[in-house]
Amino acid sequence: MSKKTTAPITLDPFQAWAHRWGRLGTVIALIYMIALPFIVLNYYDCIPTLGQVFNIATFGILAIYIPVGLSEAISYSPLMGASSYLGFITGNIMNLKLPCAVNALKLSGKEANTPEGDVAASIGVAASSIMTVVILTLAALLISFISPIFELPAVQTMSSYLLPALFGSMTLGLFASTGAGSKVVKGGIKGVIPVIVIVSLVTLAARLMGIGSAVLGMVGFLILAMLPVAIITSRILWKKGKIQVVDTNVPAEDAEAK
Amino acid sequence: MATIKDITGSPLLLALVIGGLGYIMAFSVVYLLKARKRALEMGITKKEINDIIKSSLIFSIVPSLSIVIGLVALAASLGTIWAWWRLSVIGSLSFETQIASSLAPVLGYANTTELMNNATGEQFGVVMILMSVGMLSGFLILIPFGKKLMTSVDKTKGGNGWSNVLSGCFMLTLLAVYVPVLLISDTIQALVMITGLIVAIVMGIVGKKPGWTWINNFIMAGSMILGMVSSLLWTAIFK
Repeated sequence: MSKKTTAPITLDPFQAWAHRWGRLGTVIALIYMIALPFIVLNYYDCIPTLGQVFNIATFGILAIYIPVGLSEAISYSPLMGASSYLGFITGNIMNLKLPCAVNALKLSGKEANTPEGDVAASIGVAASSIMTVVILTLAALLISFISPIFELPAVQTMSSYLLPALFGSMTLGLFASTGAGSKVVKGGIKGVIPVIVIVSLVTLAARLMGIGSAVLGMVGFLILAMLPVAIITSRILWKKGKIQVVDTNVPAEDAEAK
Repeated sequence: MATIKDITGSPLLLALVIGGLGYIMAFSVVYLLKARKRALEMGITKKEINDIIKSSLIFSIVPSLSIVIGLVALAASLGTIWAWWRLSVIGSLSFETQIASSLAPVLGYANTTELMNNATGEQFGVVMILMSVGMLSGFLILIPFGKKLMTSVDKTKGGNGWSNVLSGCFMLTLLAVYVPVLLISDTIQALVMITGLIVAIVMGIVGKKPGWTWINNFIMAGSMILGMVSSLLWTAIFK
């Protein structure tokens, strides 16, 4: 079994388009997003000073945003592939775009991180982005009429459990997408066992201290901290042959014999 | 001196938000058409493409409605136009709502009502700039290094290589972090997740039966909705 990569990557035309024009489109959107508040504030002659924006009191706000953004880019873009540019610009990645990408991969039977998988995921993410903008636009237009419905306790309770429900529905899809395609990783789960143990202990300790629900707000930090643990462990186990990549038409025992 | 209300209800802000959302819609449509064209060239059938689109549209409704709840909540502290913009681009429901709830004390007000009644335009400007700049950190990784990150896990490199293991690593880490947190941190959360999982498994089994394959398009949407609905039962029992 050769562990060396054998061929340089030739990007599929769609992937090449996404990395060029998708990225450019993202940069344009970003410039627009940053410019927007300044245009409005300048018009009303109330642009705050640098000291008003960045100080100890506002550091709390940035402390929430910055690690989450970094964590999402590092952990989700390899999962979403070429659809990342659109997914990141339209936001709500964990609760909407990533599940849509996983769903598209599962429905099409394509593998993540392949040209076909990138195309399928991009179709799903684009359709989802359009739908979300349409729904939010309708909601913004009708907000005075719909507010009472969305303020019902039952609706608010259901909404607060979106993430666990989403993970329940998505877990199978996530596992399926790691096992699809012509090559399968055998024993990949071993690489994240230290992560499962560490996160379980941290969460358990937090729950015993009565701050269990706070851990969910720290997931961005946890992913960022645990990714190196998972990658290093997987790398060591792969080098030792405990994690193997095999062709789907080759039984695991044959692969081990090799 | 402009007040927070001048800005949150500003026609200029509305025009710029409409323009921005028009751009995002156009960007999404171009992405969709490009991907669809390439999919057809790759031999993915029109039916398969339409199934993905249909399923994504249906699946997106419920999470979008949850975002609408966020919009209703955010509109109270940020005004409808700015909340609409933030939740349509980059923003994440959970973090935008976290920010909204922490705004009043950061700006020196006791609560949101006091903030909306008394804040100056400059103070709201601080909020707008912080929200616009803060979430850009992800793009500092995505724009320069996104291509490298994605190609590092590309499975078409050939060989039984590390890239395949690395690619799976990201998915598994996501599960290895989220699943223990959701299962251990809160009983109702755990039950909701397990309900969603069981429903997904049952729908998957049913979807394998002849005449029921259509259900496969609705597994994620269906299991997610029933998982969320089950929270009412679990809350009634355990709270």
